[in-house]
Amino acid sequence: MKNTFTEKLNKFLLKDETFILLIMGAAAAIFAGTFMYIKFGTGAFNDVSIVAMLKEGIDGGSYSAAAGFAAGFLIARILEGPLVGILDIGGSLMTGVGIGIPALLLSMNITLPFNNFLFALIAGALIGLVLGLIIIAIRKFVPKGVAVGGTSIMMGAGNSAGRYLGPLIIIAATQYNVYAGLGALIGSAIFYKLEKEITGGAIIGAMILGAIFL
Amino acid sequence: MSIEIIIYSLIIGAVGGGCIAAGAARMFHAPEIQAMGAFRTLGELNACAGDPVAHFGFGLGFFFNAAASAVAAGAMSGDVFHRIIPNWSAGILLLRNKKVDETLYNPGKMFLTGAGVGAVVVTVLNTAASMIPEKLAMIAGNVLTPAANWLLNPVMPGIFWLAAMDAGKTTGLWGTILGGVSALVSGNAVPGIVLGILIGKSAEENGYKSSIVQILIAIVVIMFVAIAYFRGFFNQFGF
Repeated sequence: MKNTFTEKLNKFLLKDETFILLIMGAAAAIFAGTFMYIKFGTGAFNDVSIVAMLKEGIDGGSYSAAAGFAAGFLIARILEGPLVGILDIGGSLMTGVGIGIPALLLSMNITLPFNNFLFALIAGALIGLVLGLIIIAIRKFVPKGVAVGGTSIMMGAGNSAGRYLGPLIIIAATQYNVYAGLGALIGSAIFYKLEKEITGGAIIGAMILGAIFL
Repeated sequence: MSIEIIIYSLIIGAVGGGCIAAGAARMFHAPEIQAMGAFRTLGELNACAGDPVAHFGFGLGFFFNAAASAVAAGAMSGDVFHRIIPNWSAGILLLRNKKVDETLYNPGKMFLTGAGVGAVVVTVLNTAASMIPEKLAMIAGNVLTPAANWLLNPVMPGIFWLAAMDAGKTTGLWGTILGGVSALVSGNAVPGIVLGILIGKSAEENGYKSSIVQILIAIVVIMFVAIAYFRGFFNQFGF
C-alpha cells in the first residue's frame, strides 16, 4: 500500500507542471521564514549579510538596498531558470522572494502579509504561483530543442565542479589551523582508502581533531 | 521560546523541505522537466557519490554553520535549503538503499524525506541553535565557508568556462563574452557562461536567423541590462 502511494507521488512529482506546486511550497516557506524573522527575530532563510539589508529597512532606514539588490537577482534567475532547466533557488526564492519582495512591500507600507502566519504562507504561495506560471510559460514559449545540446555540457561541468569540493575542504582546513588540517588529511586518506567520497572524511576529520585540540 | 515558534517552524520546514528536496531530485531529470536547486547543489550531491556518510558529513558541517548564524543574527543561512536538507534527505534514503536511481533521483521519496528533515532542522535552528557548541560551529565555518566560496568562485567559473571553450568556437565565444559580462555586472561568471553555452549551441544548430536564437539573445540582453541597472553597475563609470 505504502509502495504504491510513493510510486504515485513520484510519478506526479516527475511531471513538468508539478513544478508550479513545488515552487509555491518553497516560496511560501521562505516568505513565512521572513515573517518569522520580522516577528520573532529568527528564521530568515538567507545569509547574515543579505538579511542585514532587510533589517536596515525594518529598523527605520531605507529598504532600497534590499529591494534593488534582490530584484535584480530575481529577474535574472526567473529568466535563466526555464532556459537551463534548473531554477537557482538562492537568487530567485531565498533572496528574491525572501528579501526583495518583503522589502518592496514594506517600503510601500503593505503590511498585510506580515500580520499573521497564515497570511504570510498564502502571500508566499501566491508569489510562487506567479513565478511558477512565468517559468512554465517561458518553457512553453521557447521552442523545444534549444537546451538539449547546451545542458549536457553544463551538467558535465556541474558534476566535475563537485569533485573539487573534497580537496578544497582539505586546503581550507590546512590554512585555518594545524589540527583541523591534520584531521582533514587523515580523514580524507582513510575515506579514500575505503573507497568512500573524501569530502565526508575531510569534514569529519577536521571537526574531530579540531574539537579535541582547539 | 514559545509554542508558536515551534508550530510555525514545523510547518515551514515540512512544506519548504519537501518541495526543495523534490526540486533537487528533479535536477537529475532536467532539462526534460523543470527543476529547482542550483548547479553547485547538483555538483555537491554528485560529489558525495551516493555515500551516506559523505552526505551526512557535508550537511552536518553546514548545519553547525547555520546554527551559529541563527544564534548570531536570526539568519539561518541559505545552506538550509541549498545543502543541509538535500544532503541529509539523500543520506537517510541511501542508508537503506544504495541505488541513487531509486533514492536521490526519486522526487517522491525525496519529498517525503525532505519534509521530515526540514521540519526537524528548521525547528531546531529556530529554537535550540544556541545549544550547538560554539567551537564546532567555529571550526565548521572556518573550514567549509572558504572551501564553498572557492568552489563558487573561481573554481566553478573556471570549469564552466573551459567546458564552453571545449564545446566549439561559437559556444566558446558566447561563453567567454557573456561570462565576462556576467562577472563584471553580477560578480560571478557562471550564469553568463551557462547562457553563453545555450546561445552558442542553439546558434550552431539553428543559425542566427532562427527565432529561437534571436529570442534567447534578446532575453539575455534584457536580463543583463536589468541586473546591471539594479546593482548600480552603470554608476561605476562615473558619468
